[in-house]
Amino acid sequence: MNILRRILFPFSSGDKALEKIQEKTDQSFWGNVKKQYRRNRLAMFAFYFIVFLASIALLADFIANEKPLACSYKGNTYFPVFRSYAVDLGISNWPADLQNATWKELEYDWVVFPPVPYLPKNTDVANSQFKSPFDEQEVKSWRWKHHLGTDDIGHDVLSSMIHGTRTAMLVGLISMFIASMIGIILGSLAGYFGDQRLKASRASILFIILFLLFGLFYAFSSRSYILSESFSQGLSVFFVQLLLSLVILAAFLGMGYLVAKPFKKIPFLGVKVNIPVDIMISRLFEVMYSIPTLFLIISISAIIEKPSIYVVMVIIGFTSWPGIARFIRAELLRVRSLEYIEAAQAMGFSEFRIIFKHAIPNALSSVFIALAFGIASAILTEAFLSFLGVGVPPEQLTWGTLLAMARTTPTAWWLAIFPGFAIFITVTIFNLAGDGLTEALDPRLRK
Amino acid sequence: MLKYILKRLLIFIPTLIVISLLTFVISQKAPGDPVENMLNRNQGGEGQAAAKIAGEKAYMRKRSELGLDLPVFYFSISNATSTDTLYRIPKSSHRETLERLAWDYGNWDHVATYYRSVRSFELDLYNFNKTPSTAETITKVKEYVNLLYLTYEESKIKSILNNIESEFRGTKSFLDLNGGFNSIRNTFENIVHSQNISNRYIPNVHWYGFNNQYHRWFFHFIQGDFGISYQDQRPVSSALWDALKNTLSISLLSILLAYLLAIPLGISTAVHKGTRKEKIITTTLFILYSLPVFWIATLTVFFFCCGDYWCWFPAPGTAPIPEDAPLLYQFGEWLYRMALPLLCLTYGSLAFISRQMRGGMINILGQDFIRTARAKGLEESKVVNKHALRNSLIPIITLFANVFPAAIAGSIVVEHVFNIPGMGKLTIDAINARNYPVIFSTMMCTAVLTMIGNLVADILYAMVDPRISFTSKS
Repeated sequence: MNILRRILFPFSSGDKALEKIQEKTDQSFWGNVKKQYRRNRLAMFAFYFIVFLASIALLADFIANEKPLACSYKGNTYFPVFRSYAVDLGISNWPADLQNATWKELEYDWVVFPPVPYLPKNTDVANSQFKSPFDEQEVKSWRWKHHLGTDDIGHDVLSSMIHGTRTAMLVGLISMFIASMIGIILGSLAGYFGDQRLKASRASILFIILFLLFGLFYAFSSRSYILSESFSQGLSVFFVQLLLSLVILAAFLGMGYLVAKPFKKIPFLGVKVNIPVDIMISRLFEVMYSIPTLFLIISISAIIEKPSIYVVMVIIGFTSWPGIARFIRAELLRVRSLEYIEAAQAMGFSEFRIIFKHAIPNALSSVFIALAFGIASAILTEAFLSFLGVGVPPEQLTWGTLLAMARTTPTAWWLAIFPGFAIFITVTIFNLAGDGLTEALDPRLRK
Repeated sequence: MLKYILKRLLIFIPTLIVISLLTFVISQKAPGDPVENMLNRNQGGEGQAAAKIAGEKAYMRKRSELGLDLPVFYFSISNATSTDTLYRIPKSSHRETLERLAWDYGNWDHVATYYRSVRSFELDLYNFNKTPSTAETITKVKEYVNLLYLTYEESKIKSILNNIESEFRGTKSFLDLNGGFNSIRNTFENIVHSQNISNRYIPNVHWYGFNNQYHRWFFHFIQGDFGISYQDQRPVSSALWDALKNTLSISLLSILLAYLLAIPLGISTAVHKGTRKEKIITTTLFILYSLPVFWIATLTVFFFCCGDYWCWFPAPGTAPIPEDAPLLYQFGEWLYRMALPLLCLTYGSLAFISRQMRGGMINILGQDFIRTARAKGLEESKVVNKHALRNSLIPIITLFANVFPAAIAGSIVVEHVFNIPGMGKLTIDAINARNYPVIFSTMMCTAVLTMIGNLVADILYAMVDPRISFTSKS
């Protein structure tokens, strides 16, 4: 439990003894928040349920898989599920007789199958054409029954839902990671500097803009084909190339800064002017709020030739940052006038050190609230997109695609009820956690 | 007030331009050739030179009709491998190949000569006097040439050229074509030998002026001309207008319903805070808030709309209401059909608004002026309805800015599931048919609608709260 608590509240002090003292004397902010959060029974339930969902997502391969967890075949003991990870990593190989084995039909000495012995991508031909959970199914025994039925070509619904949990959690995590990166940076810039506090000489503005344009050209325009081709070679190659582009961009910005230095001595170019960061970023908020996100996501997904769940995650991430940015901006507006920030400024720390080391950690609490609600809405958006069949490849079985099948087959009630219920529960749980955090963090709402 | 509205409208313009730019960029990335989508015709393969030229002429005519022969934007930033006249090459697929070739070898002039030699060789093929014995070969070579237009890798181009050569080999009747073919070979060799990658790193900015695709598209959009649908060759605006009426009528009605129900609910849950009844209502509202609309919509259609279960409501996509029926009947029938969609669209915003209303009301009821009102002996109902209500309504009104886009977005689901011909259904049908003019028009229209919704919310806010003055405040 302690580790999980650490994950959820990573900013609590590391020392255990100290933590205990703090909890007792009720001095630490996070200790207080934890205490308040624990008092809320529903929120605690939500927290445990999130842990439960996360473990299903992590262990999906062990819960629903066609390969046995452990078996003895021709006198050798294997752990096929573990081994398939090793094979995927390139560490190990399958023995020749198991290379293309149909795991279910092998004659084992003894065998332990996962609780759900089906994979979502494979079909059970004998039980295709929408077998209901209560129908007579052509299976060897109760152990092999499709407990939540099958779809038209014989996918096991339960197994699809278990692996769908992983997709849903990944969507929530990755899209919110992207959104919070953008949101925290833009929101904190807008909130901390406002319209008055960021000053720069005309020379540096001029040169940084100039070099930014060059940087964009060399980082992205000149490398456009390299970037687009690396995307088809795999996600990791793409990230390496993207990182390289970003490094080029950063190098150009640094060059702009250096080149501007001597020009600052010229009287006209050396004059410091205000940069209205807040106005600029707030305009950006307004634009983002004026675009109906769902229509934007649908339009972008429509032009992507090779639909992929990762593209959907990225799109959701890039469209949902304004919520987080707004929270951070409001918090930093409050934090920046506090005395300790003044003290830090008096000590001559650089502005960026103050923002990232001193101001943002104090404002992060509100981000957790935005994250909890954001994950809920990201999961909902992904489910909705797969329900419409837009942007998510048809072979990817998610909660949304299962639900969409129910729409076309008005007899398959199990396809209408179970996946929808999974979406509903997940969204509710994250909303509850968000509510609990709001309450725990807001002193006015405390009991 | 008027000044404020005018000011707010001025902000409208830059936002609209940014959104239009975004939409335009996305629409430019849409796969496929718009002209070919409109003409929907297969070119190449069989046919004589005259037919080929006629087809190309029709293509060019359509292209200039749609304004696609113009430069894309006011200016272009590219590298020195490319050229600023690339937009003149008609087919988007050819354009992409040539751009890529130029990028790979860094020499546009050679690439252009190569393209010209391929084109002239293709024309030679069409002009070639076919005999039954050579017709098959010619058709094959035409296919290879078509492939050449789409290929940029050196090895693949060479193998295509070798294939063409082996088709010609040993037959004397193809001697006339050899000149054209050899010039393709030579020009391609030139490209490869004069490779100059350093050109990639020389920026090339070119200004085109106002006669460009974006300018044309944006000003047509403002004037209400949204282009022509690929599917039925009908102006998009007429399809959009019909859809908009349906979408707006159900989403506005659902917002009205939500507000009418949510305000009293919010008040009563706030006033009776802590009682069991209140707890039940609050929990129900919370559950409603998290229920995905598309799930509930699917379930209601599944169980109540004449599927295998109950037949309480008409199945989605029932024949339209006859227009000559009495008005009252029409309205009643419309309500009956829209009951379930309205329910699905309303419950989410109902839960959202009443939750906010409850929160705001609890906050207000704890404030000093309420204590004063109670202390001076006012009845509780007066305290709540007169003093607290007015103050707690202010934030609720601004919620319109959140609820309105949500209702528009929600209508996508509801229209999709209940088969109502509105904006959402139009968009989804357009996506399935890859009918891009419709997709991007609906996106622009919903953005404008959302902006109007935000504007209405701001104006309402200014009207309700006298403390807010927008004239001169730093």
